[in-house]
This record gives sequence, C-alpha cells and structure tokens, in this order.
Amino acid sequence: MPLGKIIKSNSHTDYICQVYSPGEVETPPAREDYAFGTFVRVELGDGRWLVGIIYDTQLFNPDFGRLGPRLSPEPELAVFSPDYLNEKATLVGIAAVGMMDTAGNVVQGVPPLAASTDAPVERMTDDRIRAFHQGNPTPQLAYVPLLLAQSSPLVLPLLQAVIARLVAIFPDQANLLAVLQNDLAWKAQVGPLGGAQ
Amino acid sequence: MNEQHPIGLTKGPGETPHEFTFVSPDQAQVLKVGEFVAYRARVDGRERAILARVTNRRPLRLYPDAFLADPNINPDDVAALVGYHQRGHELFELTATVIGYYDEELGDFINPRLPPHTGRPIYLAADEDLARVLTKKQPGEVGAAHIGSLLSREKDRVPIALDLRAITSTHLAIIASTGAGKSYLAAVLIEEMMKPNNRAAVLVVDPHGEYDTLAEMVNHEAFVERLPGDTLQPTYRPEIKIFKPGDVKVRASALTLSDLYYLLPNLSERMEYLLRRAYRDVRKQSTKDKGDPERWTAAELRIRLRQLGEGDGEDGEGDDRYAGTADALIWRLESVLDHSIIFDDFQHLNLTELFRPGRCSVLQLNEVDEREQQVMVATLLRRLFRARTQTVKGQVGEGDELYLPYPAFVLIEEAHRFAPASGDAVSTGILKQVLAEGRKFGVAVGLISQRPGKLDGDVLSQCNTQFILRIVNPVDQARVAESVETVGRDLLRELPALTKGQVIIAGEAVNTPVLCRVRRRHTRHGAETRDAPADWMRYFEPEEQGQRERETALPAEPRRRRRSKMFK
Repeated sequence: MPLGKIIKSNSHTDYICQVYSPGEVETPPAREDYAFGTFVRVELGDGRWLVGIIYDTQLFNPDFGRLGPRLSPEPELAVFSPDYLNEKATLVGIAAVGMMDTAGNVVQGVPPLAASTDAPVERMTDDRIRAFHQGNPTPQLAYVPLLLAQSSPLVLPLLQAVIARLVAIFPDQANLLAVLQNDLAWKAQVGPLGGAQ
Repeated sequence: MNEQHPIGLTKGPGETPHEFTFVSPDQAQVLKVGEFVAYRARVDGRERAILARVTNRRPLRLYPDAFLADPNINPDDVAALVGYHQRGHELFELTATVIGYYDEELGDFINPRLPPHTGRPIYLAADEDLARVLTKKQPGEVGAAHIGSLLSREKDRVPIALDLRAITSTHLAIIASTGAGKSYLAAVLIEEMMKPNNRAAVLVVDPHGEYDTLAEMVNHEAFVERLPGDTLQPTYRPEIKIFKPGDVKVRASALTLSDLYYLLPNLSERMEYLLRRAYRDVRKQSTKDKGDPERWTAAELRIRLRQLGEGDGEDGEGDDRYAGTADALIWRLESVLDHSIIFDDFQHLNLTELFRPGRCSVLQLNEVDEREQQVMVATLLRRLFRARTQTVKGQVGEGDELYLPYPAFVLIEEAHRFAPASGDAVSTGILKQVLAEGRKFGVAVGLISQRPGKLDGDVLSQCNTQFILRIVNPVDQARVAESVETVGRDLLRELPALTKGQVIIAGEAVNTPVLCRVRRRHTRHGAETRDAPADWMRYFEPEEQGQRERETALPAEPRRRRRSKMFK
C-alpha cells in the first residue's frame, strides 16, 4: 500500500513523509494505513528499502493563521485555486530502524544508506514485517536500544505499539516478547507516577 | 610465575596504597576471593613476579532486572531479542592486595610498594610457584606439617605444609564454631607432628575424651619408618598413650596456695588466714624433714590445721577461737582433695612419661570437675615450664625429677575453660607466662576454642599462628578481628561462609595468610556427633525391647511340688 513520499529528513534516521492526498494516487491511504507505530518501507532503489516506523503525525495547513477573507468561496476553490488545496498536507515522521533487500538480507539498527527526496513510502505487509524481524531462534528487535535512546515522550508508547504488533505476528514468541512488553508498560504507565524502575 | 595466559588487565589503584583493581572476563571462573594472582614489575633493576591476593570481586555487567522478570525465560534470549548476541558478556572488576615478591634469601615476601601500571597484564599464579612460596616448608621435610591444600585451587594441587618450628616456638590457636571441624584439624596437626619427619613430644589435654582414635597411628603405615628393604623392623613408630581420668595424678603438695584457694571457693577471711598459715607451716616442715618444700601430704596439712584450730600457733597456746574455722576448712579440704580422682599424696605427674619425642600423650579429663581440670592444667604447665627452664639453664641433670631435655608441645582443647576472658581461672596466669616466655625454653601450647569471645584476649593474641575455621557468632568474629591482626579484613569476611574443613591459616607458620582445605585424617575421627533420633528409634527395635524385658523380668517362681495326699 503506497503511503506517500519522503519530503524531508531531520537526521540520518528521522524522515518526514507527505501522505498522498486524494487526487494524487488512485487509492489514497486511509487513516489506519499511516497510524502511529505502523511499519513502512522507503524505497532506495536496486531492490533495497529502508525500514521505518511511523512515530509522529503533523497536519500542514498554510491557511492557518491567515485572518483575511479569500476571494473564492470554499466550493469554488477546486476550480479557481487548485494549488491551494494541494498545499494542505498530512505529514508523518518515520524513524528508520533498518534496511532490507529483495534477497532477504536484513540490517537492524542505524541503516548504512539514506533515502532520497521523493522516495516512495509504502506500508509493510505482515509477511515483510515478519521477514524483517525473523531471527534464529528468537525474533530480533535490535533497533529497540536505538529508539529508547531518543528523548521523545512518544518512544515508550511507540515501542509498546511495535511489540503488540509483533506479538500478533510471532504468537509462539509471546512469552519472550512479554518480558520486554511488561517492562515497557511499567516504565510508560507506572514509572512517571514514581514507580521504581 | 606462569605468564603464558594473562587473565586480566590492570585498571588502576585501589582504595589503599597496597591495593589495585583489574578487569577480567574470567570465563573459567577461577578468580575467587582469596585466589593468588601475579604481575611483573622491575624492582631494584630486576624484573620480579609480584604476588597479590584477590580480595573482592564485583561484576561490571549485569542484566537489567526486567530481563529477569520471567523465571521461564532465559535472560540471554531477551538480550538476543534486542540484538545482543555476544557470548560471555560477563566482566568483573577484581580488587587485589599486593603481597610482594618472594625473596629466596629472606624466605619471606617483600612488598615492592609498586602497584601495577594501568593496562598491565595480570596472571593467575602457577600452582608450583604457590607451593614454593606460600609456606616455608615442603611436605615431607623435617619440620613440615602437611595439613591440606590451597582452597582456591583443585584439591592437592598446592599443598600447604606449615612450619612446625614456628608453631612449636610461638604457639598456635585453633578457633571455630561448633561443628566447623576444629578437633579434626587438631588431629591432622597431631598426625603431622607424629610422622617420622617430625617425631614430636605432644600432650593433648582432652576434656571431652575424643582423641582416643589417635591410637590408630601406631599401626598406620603413614607413621612408620623402615630402613629400605627391611619390611619387618620399623626404625620409628609413634607411641600414643591415652591417660584415662584418674590415670594421672597431681601430688597435693604441688598445689600452690592460689590453687587451694581456687579449689575452695568463697573462703571466709578467717579460713584464708588459717589455710595460709597451715600451708606455710607444712612447707616449712617439709623442707626441714625432707629437704623439699613440696613433700608434704594432705594429711599433714589437715593435722596442722587442727593444731592451729586448737591454739597451737604463734598466737599462743590454748587459744581455740579458730577451732570452728579449722573444722570447716578440714571438711572442705577432705571433700576436695581426698574425694578427687586427680589428687594424690605421693603420685605425681611424671613429665618424662607424659613428654617424650615420638610420643603423643592424651590426657582425658572428661570425668573431672572443671575447677580440678583447671588446677591440673595449671600444675602441669607450671611443672613443665619449670622443668624446661631448669633443664635449659643447666640447673637439673639426668635423673632429676624435673629434667626434660627436649621441647614439648601441649595442645589444649576447650581453651576458654583454662584462660577465660573473665580472668578468674587459676590456669590463666601460667598460660600467659608460657605464651610469653615459652619460646626461649621450648615449651609451646596450642589452644583450641569454640568461643574466642570467652577466651582471654591477651592469650589469644599471643598465639602467633592462627587457624580460623567457620565462625558465625558476631562477638566471636569481633574478638578474632581484634586479636588476630595478621589476617586481613578481606579474609575475615569469609569466616561465616567457610564450610567444614576449610580454614584460614595465618601467622608465623605461613608466609602469607592462606585459605586451606584440610586433608583427610589417616586415623578415624573420634568427635562424631551423636545421632539421637537413630538412638530413639533403636529403643523400639524388637531385639532391644526383648533385651529390656529380659533384664527387667522378675525371677520365675519355682514350681511347687504337689504335695502327696498322704501327708495332707
């Protein structure tokens, strides 16, 4: 499922993707497709992709703060100012957590390569998520320390969402994942209220 | 030192000038507390291997508590889940105390006061090097007591052979809680003393009667020496003499006035006065009649007391105001001296019978009253010390009663009875004298106690070789810490954790304190704990019950003959 394209990056692992709006693609993504914690892949070319997780959403509205009246009424904007409508956008933040290629090679953690502007972003299927996390014998989440090193208050909820997703994909590893899940839940829910870590 | 495989790298200095820290993965888990390591340093222009002892071990990498949340999940798997796949992640910071390099000429360690530079390799000290430098002797040498092996190494890899010369000149103490193996260790020590390479003159004061199994030494091959090729006639075989309670007598006249006061506690001032006068008089009379002040008899003392009671004294004739006091004193003296199994008017401790090279005498005192035990030990030590002093000074010669031409060693079990911290035992004084001066005259004592807290502090601190087994009681630990300065705090911390047969040895007999595993005894151990539940069960066994019924049954009534009707 195509989601949008990369328009900007804040760092080697932090990208901004503009979600396709109606009219840009045949089937624009629904809200559920770019939900918080969704796994996405960013095309690098040559059969390689960055793997990322949506960690933030921003709404871009150039009209916000403009107090003067518009000459065209709302229903006629599409006729007289179509570019204005296109300027409103939904932006999602993507944390790059690894790389994979068509041959099945996986790198977790800081990806060695960076994406380019306008690189297409698409939502990953369960099969691809499984392939990215498949380890022997246990699943691999080697990017967890990378995310935990971020100071954002959204990191813990993000990891909770990621692990909840992985529990559904790797049901036979639920006990192992639960160790991390329980720790994150404690830190996210009880820690801020003074629970000892 | 073996330098093929460094085991860690120096991190930096420790808390004290003699400590340093090093970091090691220690995957083989050999760096236990008490283990010996070494580093190389140039001292006086020569490269030396400096020995150090590990005193603390602190892990540097621990899994977060959260990884240990599910007992069914291996924390290694959780680490692998988040991308940690390294094997052997453990890393330790070890603190070591510098002992020094071994100077062959001095026969001791010299601290170079040079901690290793950061990054310097640290090696595990080689077994053969440790065997050479930790103790002054090698097993089998004259004066060596091979009592076990170094605890931190595999059994028997590094033998610990103590210097008996140091022990028999500067005394020893064996301190442990009940059941920690102190009697076992003492027996091992006695076995070593009686081996052909030592042939010591040993006396064991045994208040519990648990050393009689030492008699097995006589027929044990480990203690017999034969000429090469001669399988029949041994050139040496130890003698073990067990003296049962009552076998050894103390001549009443050898008792000092203090001994008498001690045997007769709570005397009134009048009684003390009367006893002092009578004692002085009988000694004077004995000197006059027999040429020796210690030849009076208990009967003579009683007679003199009666005379004094009847006014036959310097104070004037016919003054019988002491009659009641004298009667009471005589009654008490009779009850102590005449009814005791250890006092006698004529028999006396025969020192050459008790002490002879190659002979171990075991003085069993298990049926003797505690005060009498103390008086007996005090008399014995006093006499032994006098004999050795006079012999060394040449004041006595062959044939004299007090001639004892060889050093002697006395091992005293339950030493807190004979030198209690409260200081009211009659034997404390002579024990202190022997501890202080015995070295010059070849009289040494070994003290064994399960309650160092109850043992006189001066007495304990004068025993220059210490064997410390497991001690749990904090009072006893504190007493050991204050009295035994040669053992470092790091080793004392090990005390509650020691198990049976593990001992810390420190002091004169070793070059540096060592944690030792006591070897197996050649003879059986006599101090086994009674198995009360098994004894109770045995009471109900059919054989035991039948035996009891037979023993308690009334004699069968003889069958009455039916009388003939004719005589009815």
